Amino acid sequence: MATTSPKFLFTEGTNRYRAYKIAGFALLALLILIVAFAYNDTGSITLFDNSYKLSITRVTKSISFMVAILGLQVVAGFTGQLSLGQGFFFGTGAYISAWLVADQNWAWFTSLIVVVPVCFVFGLVAGIPALRIRGLYLALVTLGLAAIFPSLIKLDFLLPYTGGAAGKTVDSDFIPPSWLPLDGMINALHSLPLIGQYFGDGEGMSNKEEQRVWTFFMMVILALICFKLVSNLIKSRPGRAIRAVRDNETSAAVNGMSLSFHKTMSFGVASALGGVGGMIYVAELGIASEGDFTQLISILFIVGMVVGGVGTLSGAAIGGLVIAFIPDWASSTQNLPGIPERWLQGPTGGLILGIGLIVITFVLPGGVISGVRKIRGRFVEVLPKTPAIQLAGAGAAVSADESDIPNDSLGSESPDLSTTVDES
Amino acid sequence: MELFLNRISDGLSNGATYALIAMALVMIFKATTLINFAQGEFAMFGGFIALVLATERGLPMWIAVVGAMAITAVLAAGFERTLIRPFDPSDHLPLVIITLGLFLGINALAGIIWRFDPRAFPELFPSGNALTWNTVTLSWYTIGTIVTVAVVAGGLTLLLNTTKIGLAFRAVSSNLESSELAGIKVGPTLQFGWAIAAAVGTLGVCVFVASPFRQLEPNVMVTGLIFAVSAAALGGLDSLGGAIAGGLAIGLVQSIGVPYLGIPSELSLLAAVAVLMLVLLFKPSGLFGTPQVERV
Repeated sequence: MATTSPKFLFTEGTNRYRAYKIAGFALLALLILIVAFAYNDTGSITLFDNSYKLSITRVTKSISFMVAILGLQVVAGFTGQLSLGQGFFFGTGAYISAWLVADQNWAWFTSLIVVVPVCFVFGLVAGIPALRIRGLYLALVTLGLAAIFPSLIKLDFLLPYTGGAAGKTVDSDFIPPSWLPLDGMINALHSLPLIGQYFGDGEGMSNKEEQRVWTFFMMVILALICFKLVSNLIKSRPGRAIRAVRDNETSAAVNGMSLSFHKTMSFGVASALGGVGGMIYVAELGIASEGDFTQLISILFIVGMVVGGVGTLSGAAIGGLVIAFIPDWASSTQNLPGIPERWLQGPTGGLILGIGLIVITFVLPGGVISGVRKIRGRFVEVLPKTPAIQLAGAGAAVSADESDIPNDSLGSESPDLSTTVDES
Repeated sequence: MELFLNRISDGLSNGATYALIAMALVMIFKATTLINFAQGEFAMFGGFIALVLATERGLPMWIAVVGAMAITAVLAAGFERTLIRPFDPSDHLPLVIITLGLFLGINALAGIIWRFDPRAFPELFPSGNALTWNTVTLSWYTIGTIVTVAVVAGGLTLLLNTTKIGLAFRAVSSNLESSELAGIKVGPTLQFGWAIAAAVGTLGVCVFVASPFRQLEPNVMVTGLIFAVSAAALGGLDSLGGAIAGGLAIGLVQSIGVPYLGIPSELSLLAAVAVLMLVLLFKPSGLFGTPQVERV
C-alpha cells in the first residue's frame, strides 16, 4: 500500500468525490437495467456444452438471500453473536406472508406490516439465550432452532395455515401498472445499435416476462431500502454500540452500553430482515415448502456471509448471489473435459460451497469484498475530509500540507475506515 | 405397562446411538472447547465406508466396521492437521466455519459418490428378540447397542487412564498452555483426540443404521447430530459419562415423553432442542460437566 500510491485520489466533500459516488450508483443502476431486460428469459452462457442460466427469477431469488444475509451480518458480523438460526426467521417470514397473501388476499408488500414485527419479536425471544450463553453454545441453540422449523410447520394446529408437507402455494403475481411502458423500454433498448440484439426480440414482452421484470424491480427497491436502513443503523449510535459489543464486551459494558439491550435488539433486527427475505423468496417462487427451510439454508446463509465478507454490507449482496447461483450452475454442469460424468451429478453445488467456505477462510478471511477492496485500493483512494482546524492554523502552507498529509498519515488509515463502514 | 417397557427398550437403543455420537463430540470439546459440526457427517461417511468394505470387498461385517473406524480416524487426523491446527484455538468463529464447510462438503461428497437412495445396512447383531414376556420384548439389537456403548466407554476410560497418550490428552484438556510448557506435543495429542472421536462416531452410525428399521443415506445424521448435541449438552459437554447419561436420557425422552405427552412424533426433534435450550439456559455446564467460572 505504501509503495504504490493510488492513481485516483478523492477527498470527501469535494465535487470530484461526489462525481465518483454518483458514477458508482450509475453503474449499479445500469447493471440492474441490464439484468432486468437482457436476461429476462433466455439469458444463458454456454461453456463446454453446459448452459448456465442467468434468468432473472434466480436473480430475484438471490435478492431474498441477500436480505437474509444482511440480517445475519447485523447479528453475526456486527454484534458478534454467531447465529445459525437465520433460516428459522426466513421461513417464518415466508410462511406468514404466504398465508396472508394466499388466504387473506393481502398484497405482498402489505404483508410486511405483519411479517416484520412478528419476526422482530421472535428474534427478541431467540436473542434471550444470547444473554446467558455465547459463542459455540449460542451457535448450538440457534442451529437447533433452525432444525426444528420443518417439524413446526407440520404441527397439526398449523396445518390449515401452512399446508403441511405439501407446501403453501400462492398464485398472486406482481402485475406491473399499466402506465409503465415496459414494452416500450425493451423495444427502445432493442433498437440500440450494436448491443440491441441482446435486449429482447423487438416485439415487446409477454405478460409473464413483464411480471418477472416488475417483481425484480420491486424487490431491488425493497432490498435497496433494507441495505440503506442497515447502513444507517451501522453508522449511527446503536451501530457503534453493537460493534463495541462485538469487539470487547467488557469494555463496552464499562462504557455504559447495555449488553442485553444491544444483543437482543440486534437479534430482533436480524430476524426482521430474515422475515423480509423470506417474503421476497416466496413472492418470487410462489410456493413455501418446508423442505426449503431446513438447517441447511441457515448454513448456506453463513456460507454467503463468510464468502462475501463478515461485517460488510456489500458482502451480503455477493453472498446472496453466490448461494443462489453456485448450486444451480453446479447442477447444470453435466460435462467437463477431464472429469467423468459420474462426478458431475448429484449435489456438486454443496461440495463446491463447502470447499469454497474452507478455502475462503484460509486464503481470504475477509471474504470476496476484502479482495475487491484491496484491488480497488490500488487505484482509488478516498480521503477523509481535511479537518478545518488545519486550514485555519497552517496559513500559507496549507496547500502544500494538504497534498502531503493524506499520503503519509491518513493514507494508511482510510482503508480501515472503509472496511468498517461500507458505502454501498 | 407392556407398551411402556417396550418404549423404554426403544428409547435405550436410540439413546445408546446418540450417546456414541455425543461421546465423539465430547472428545473434541474436552480438548479444544470446539464443537465439531461435521462430526455427524464424518460418522455417516464412515458408515458408507463400512458398507462398501462389507458388500464390495466381502469383508465380515464387524471387520468392515473396524476398518471403517480406522479409515475415518486417519481422515479426521488429516483434517485436524491441515484444516484445524493452523487456526488459533481460542478464536472460535473460523473453526466453526471450517467445520460447517466440512459438514456441507462431506455431505455433498457422500451424495455424489453414493447418491441419496437409502441402502440397507447389514445387521450387526442377531435379529429377533432376546427376551419375550407377554408382549414385552427386548431385542438383541437393543442389548447390542447398550453393550457397544458400555464397551466403548470402558475402552475410552482405559485408553485415557492407562496409556501415555491418554495421559497427555487429559493434561491438554485440563490446561493447554501448562501441558505445552511441560513438554507435551499439543498438536499430535489433539490430532489423536480427533481420530478417536471420528472412530467412535463411525461406530455410532454403524450401530444406528444396523437397526432393521433404519437405512443408510447421506442425510442420516443431519438431524441425528442435533440429538447428539442435545445429549452432549445435557450430560455436560466435557464429560464422557455425562454424554452416555445424556444420550440415554434424550432417547428415553424421545420414546417415552413424546408419546405420553401426546406430542406428534415429528416433534421428538423439538423435544431434543427444548432440552438443549433449557440446559444451556439454566445449567450451561450440564449435569456432569465442569462449571465454567469466568473472571471479569
